Amino acid sequence: MQAVLLAVVLAPGAVFSLFSILWLLGWDAPERALTRVTAIVYSLATIAVAWLAWSLHASGGATIAVSLGDWFTVHDYHFPLVLLGDRLSLPFLALTVVLVGLIGQFSATYLHRDPGFARFYILLHLFAFGAMLIFSAGSFDLVIAGWEMVGLTSVLLISFFHYRPGPVESALRVFIVYRACDIGLITAAFVMHHLAHSSSFANGMPHLTDGDATIVGLLLLLSAAGKSAQVPFSGWLPRAMEGPTPSSAIFYGAISVHAGAYLLLRAQPILMESPIAAAAVVVIGLITAVQGSMIGRTCADAKTSLAYASLAQVGVVFIEIGFGLTWIPVMHILGHAMVRTLQFLRAPSMLHDYHQVHAAAGGHLEKTGKHLESAIPQGLQLWLYRMAIDRGHLDTILERVIVQPLVQVSLFLARLDRMGLPSAPAKAIKPAAMQSVTAPNEGVIDG
Amino acid sequence: MADLSFPLISAAIGIPALAAAAAFGSDQRARIAGVIGSAGSALCALECLREVQAGGGARLAEPWSLGLFTADPLNATFLVLYSLLTLGILILAPRRDTSAKITGATLLVLASTLAAYGAGNLLVLAAAWILSALPFILGPFTGTWRPRAGLSASCIAIIGALGIIASAAHDGGATHPFSLAELQGHNFGGSAAFALLIIAIVCRKGIFPAHAWIEDAAEAGPILPVCLFINGHLGAFLLARVVIPEFPLSAQGAFPILSDLALFTALYAAVRAVAESKARRILALLVLSQSACILAGLESATQEGITGALVHCMVVAVATTGLFSVLRLMEVRFGRSFTSDHYLGLSEYTPRLAVFFVVCGLALVGLPGTLGFCSEDLLIHGTLVSHPQIGLLLPLATAMNAVSLFRLFSKMFLGTQKTGIHGISDAIPRERWVLAAIALFIVAAGVVPSAALSLRRNAAQALNGPMAPHSTTVAGNR
Repeated sequence: MQAVLLAVVLAPGAVFSLFSILWLLGWDAPERALTRVTAIVYSLATIAVAWLAWSLHASGGATIAVSLGDWFTVHDYHFPLVLLGDRLSLPFLALTVVLVGLIGQFSATYLHRDPGFARFYILLHLFAFGAMLIFSAGSFDLVIAGWEMVGLTSVLLISFFHYRPGPVESALRVFIVYRACDIGLITAAFVMHHLAHSSSFANGMPHLTDGDATIVGLLLLLSAAGKSAQVPFSGWLPRAMEGPTPSSAIFYGAISVHAGAYLLLRAQPILMESPIAAAAVVVIGLITAVQGSMIGRTCADAKTSLAYASLAQVGVVFIEIGFGLTWIPVMHILGHAMVRTLQFLRAPSMLHDYHQVHAAAGGHLEKTGKHLESAIPQGLQLWLYRMAIDRGHLDTILERVIVQPLVQVSLFLARLDRMGLPSAPAKAIKPAAMQSVTAPNEGVIDG
Repeated sequence: MADLSFPLISAAIGIPALAAAAAFGSDQRARIAGVIGSAGSALCALECLREVQAGGGARLAEPWSLGLFTADPLNATFLVLYSLLTLGILILAPRRDTSAKITGATLLVLASTLAAYGAGNLLVLAAAWILSALPFILGPFTGTWRPRAGLSASCIAIIGALGIIASAAHDGGATHPFSLAELQGHNFGGSAAFALLIIAIVCRKGIFPAHAWIEDAAEAGPILPVCLFINGHLGAFLLARVVIPEFPLSAQGAFPILSDLALFTALYAAVRAVAESKARRILALLVLSQSACILAGLESATQEGITGALVHCMVVAVATTGLFSVLRLMEVRFGRSFTSDHYLGLSEYTPRLAVFFVVCGLALVGLPGTLGFCSEDLLIHGTLVSHPQIGLLLPLATAMNAVSLFRLFSKMFLGTQKTGIHGISDAIPRERWVLAAIALFIVAAGVVPSAALSLRRNAAQALNGPMAPHSTTVAGNR
């Protein structure tokens, strides 16, 4: 079973490495090769994960642990590589391989003849590898590795249509939020190691005192809230919709947006030791759920509306986790991920679908939620509407409280650094291309 | 002390020095002379490293050199790395950057930096320190006044320290007052010599408040030689080679201040880069920020911290060489120095250069799968006892650096293409092979870091020796 788990986790990484090295060597993989390899790999991986789950159930065991030794060792310090397949990680591994396989097939048609076809598939495999690492990691250190890969691929896929400034700017915004929140996970791992001499949970979560558990729990919550777009970091989610629809579906409908919830589920023993951290999870989930459903109702485009609907559900999942539930959030995540992926993939045809449903209902499709709206006073409705239109004012608040002061400090330091220097214009260099005109012997490329 | 089989260090220094003389003669053969000189130097350094490794990490004296040069695990890796980086830069540099003057001076910087690494004698080290800085003080790599002032200050400080140490050693009855082996642990020169050495390190390494010259040098000077010069990390090397062994007691008291200053520099440069628009300055600030914590690691008195610092030196050197090289190649193709004011969309023309930029950038900011992740992990872990604040500040600085780097990448390679760009080609073979070697090293050593760590293990043990009795090592398993 260990070998199968290892193969399942490493397979996407191997495919990513293969295709990216071949591309760097100058080979542009044909579409058919990319889609067929993807189909074969994830079909086999799906069968393998199903077999693992069945074997684990049949054997009555709780965990499949794969120890790959130490990644590196210095003196007393070891970085153990342990992969875990247990009742929490296997459903997430299954979700990943099934959805990546489906998205791979869907994208074969959706991105046919797109100039970035190969890039999309290469990044999809890297994403799958990162997600598998998160879900099968036996320590928070290894979670960090997968976490960063998922974040990076997410950002690179948001800027997939990089010839437009919009997606690129959105990718940068998302990257800033990801990096800021990743500090929580990285610091939590170091704090755990400092306090408990281990950040591994392969043999159970390290024991922490109440105060320590609060610190670690809140740090993990910061990271989980960033990755799952919870308040106050929700502002990045609509920006992430700039990417191609298949990647939006798998990232923000299914896997990436639930990675934060998985992290909290994994760290639930720590949260349960700290009432403060658990309460914070519930509060953040609650605010996000309310805010997500309100904003979703004011969105003009289908994908953003779906993104906020997704966010509201993840908020509910956070509440469930904060209350100490385990299986209900897992089932909630699995069901939500599948439904939301389908909705995202159908989003480009939503108008067509709506007309079909409208016709099927005999042209009397009622607007939902009227009973709720009628219960809210008119003045409050307008206030809520304004807030929802501005997406909870979250971006504005973050901009004013964090971004602008940081930029001001940076500019002030720049002025300090440049004191005593003459202001110089950008240095002009003779372009190589121009040089080839003026000096034919030089060739097109300088050198 | 056992001997090397051949005067390999002298050869590694002498070959590029001779090549520099040959390069000065003609623009036509400058690159060839440079490549031959640095390749010869790299071969000698590799053999030196092999003998040091075979010798179990002991310090080896060079035959017939009167103890002027020694090889040990600390300097043998630096010798190899630096000569290979110079070789890479000389191969991929655009033609306009390989004139006789520039190549000759680059080879002189190589020879003098290798001499500083290999020195077994404080006088040789100080002379090499000054020689390596001369092209940036007197020419041909001069820029604005601040690099000249910063480097001059570091040279004056090291000369002052040398005088005080020599005088004290002579009074103390030392038979070879400049020999590093004989000076070890004696604290000759006391606080005055120690303070001057720290000033030399602060000025050379660009630690706050002496940091601004590095930005200026990167912006106004020739970028590839400047990159090579910064990546010599002679400031950190002086700390490891002279200050820690010679002044273990002074170091105990003063190092926390130096480390806090280094941490502050890391954060300062990271914040500073957030709103900077000039590409060269952004990269210089990132180098400053990422390399400042090396000092904190070196004085952490834990083997993990010291190993992390030494490996981080390698990562910063290799990754920033890749970044500066891509930037320079893009500048030459594009025709202007870059700013992050507009999107240029150049990845359409140069997809492979864009990928190399990303890989080197990710290594610099410690992404998993690159050697930068391992070095930062060790660095933070090892310094947690002596500097708990590093656990928060270094990830914060690294996060800001990653954002600045991605912003620069976006502006250069993504977004709407600027109209009227023609004739820009992707990496040509000699550029591609050098950059591929850099990327391969970063990724391969990141996936399998044991080899890179084993190269630095003995050096870390040796460095930890003088401070170990005063230290507390974090035991445990992650």
